[in-house]
Amino acid sequence: MGIPTVPIITNTFETAVRESLYGKGMSNLRVTYVPHPVAYRPPEECREKILGKNPVSGRQVIEEVIEGLTSPLTEEEKNTGLIEKPQQRLLEPDTPENLNKFFLNNGWTSYMPIFLPTEERVAEMLKGTSRKPDDKVGEMAPSSPHAAWSYNVEQVAVNAVMAGARPEFLPVILALASIGTTSLFTSTNSFTSMVCVNGPIRNEIKMNMAIGALGPFNHANASIGCAWTLISRNLGGGVIPGLNYMGSQGQGHNYNNLCFAEREERLPLGWNPFHVQKGYRPEESVVSVFHGWSWSNMGGFESDKDYTIKRFFEANTQCCGETVVLDPLVAMMLQKDRRYESKEALSQWLHENVLMTQTEYWGYPGQAFGGYAVGGHTEELEKAKAGVEPYASWLNLLEGALIPVPRGVDVNIIVAGGETNPYWQGGSLRYLGSASVDEWK
Amino acid sequence: MTDDGKKITVLNPLGTLPPIKLETMAPRLDTLDGKTIYLVDVKFPASEQFGKELLNILKERHPETNWLYKQKAGSYFDDDPELWEEIKNNGHGMVQYVGH
Repeated sequence: MGIPTVPIITNTFETAVRESLYGKGMSNLRVTYVPHPVAYRPPEECREKILGKNPVSGRQVIEEVIEGLTSPLTEEEKNTGLIEKPQQRLLEPDTPENLNKFFLNNGWTSYMPIFLPTEERVAEMLKGTSRKPDDKVGEMAPSSPHAAWSYNVEQVAVNAVMAGARPEFLPVILALASIGTTSLFTSTNSFTSMVCVNGPIRNEIKMNMAIGALGPFNHANASIGCAWTLISRNLGGGVIPGLNYMGSQGQGHNYNNLCFAEREERLPLGWNPFHVQKGYRPEESVVSVFHGWSWSNMGGFESDKDYTIKRFFEANTQCCGETVVLDPLVAMMLQKDRRYESKEALSQWLHENVLMTQTEYWGYPGQAFGGYAVGGHTEELEKAKAGVEPYASWLNLLEGALIPVPRGVDVNIIVAGGETNPYWQGGSLRYLGSASVDEWK
Repeated sequence: MTDDGKKITVLNPLGTLPPIKLETMAPRLDTLDGKTIYLVDVKFPASEQFGKELLNILKERHPETNWLYKQKAGSYFDDDPELWEEIKNNGHGMVQYVGH
C-alpha cells in the first residue's frame, strides 16, 4: 500500500498469520491481536476487548493500533532482500526405523504407515510416466493467503511411493497434482475433498466403481486418494494444523478423499460421463476434483429420488456447490421413471426447485446486524444491496417466502455403485477442476 | 529393504518453497492529527459491530483525525483493488480488521 497499515486479527489465528506473513516477506507487519472471538459478539463485549489487552503482546489493543501507525520503524522493519531455502533432494542416510520416525515427527505422513521413498522405489515409480523427473507439474497452497509451493514429476512420484501407489497409477496422480488444488483446504471449516476418475484409465488400473466404490476396497482408489493428501501436505505448503490448516474439527475423509471412478458403463442412455460434460472426449482419461463442507450417505426406498435430493440440498446448501454420486439403480430410476433424459435435465430441475425460505437464505434468526441477517449467502447479499436482480427482490420478500437456492452453484451428477440397492450419496461439494491423465502418461 | 540397522537413502518428500522477497514497512506517521485513516472491514460475517465499536473508540480518543469506515466490496474472500487505490490516493494510513 505504501502507507502505514495495522491489521487487527483475533488471537486464535496468530500462528497462521505469522506463517502467512513470513511467506509473503512481511513478518514485520504490525499486527494487533484481539481476544477471539469477535464475530457474533455484542458491541459491549467488542468494546471491552478493544480496550482490553492483546493476549499475545499483553499490551492494550487500542494503544497498540495507534502506535502501530505512528511509532517509527525499527531497522529490522526496514529490511529488504531475498530469503531462499532450497530443499535437499536426498535426506541424510539412516535406518528405515529412524527414517520412519523422522517422517512421522516432521508431519510428512497422515500418521498411517508409508512406504519410504528410496531411490529405487522412486525410479520404479517414474517408469509410470514418459515425463522427465524435473518437469514442472504445478503449484499448490493450502489457501490463497499462503505462498504456493512448486513441484516436479519426481517430487510427485516420491509422494506416490509413500502412498503405496503402483507406477501405472502415476499418470492419474500427476494429473491430479497438476490441477494445483489442495485436499487440505485451510478454512475454519473442515472441508471434504473428492476425486473422480473418468475414461479408459479407470479400467486399465482396475479402479473400483461398483460395490464399495467409495470404501477401502481397492488399491488404485485408496492410494490415489491418499497420494493427494500427501501431495497437499508435503508439496502444497507443508500443511500443519494451527499453522496453515485451521479446520476446527478436521475431516476424516481427508485420509483418502472420497476417491473413485465413474461407472460409465452403467450410465442411463443419454447421460454423459462427467468428463464429457466438462468438454473432454469420451476416450480421454480425466481426473476431476471437488471440495465442500458436507457429505452424506442417503439410504431410502422412495421412488421419487429427485425430491429426496431436492430436500437434501434444501437442508445442506450453504457452501459450496451441490454434488451427488448416484448408484446406477438411482440413475436408472431417474431416467426411466422420473423422465430425466440427461444429467443436465436433472441439474436444471434442481436449480429451479431446491428452495429455501427467505429467512433461511439470507441468514439465521438472531444474527441480524445493520438491518440485514448475516451468515447466509454473503455474496448474494452484496449483490442484493447493490440492486442486482433477482437478489434485490429476494431481499424484500416476506418472511417465509420461498426462493431457489442453487443460484450460480454447479450441480454435479456422477454415477457409481454396485446396484445392490437404489441409494445415493451427496453433499455440498463444488467442482474445482479437471485434468487430462493422458498428458501425464 | 532391510531393517537390520543398515542405513538407506530416501528422497525428500517436500516441495520447492518460493524465494521470499522481504518487504520493507511503510514509513510511520508523526501524528494522527489532521490525517485521514481508513478503517476497513473485511466483512467476515457478523463482525460489523466490532468495527463500529472500534470506530467509536478511535474517534473518542483521536477526534482530530478523519476516521473513514469502509466495507470491502464482495465477501471476505474477494479482493477490492478499487478501494486499495482510493486509500493509496486519499489516505494517510489504514487499520483493517478481520472478524472471526
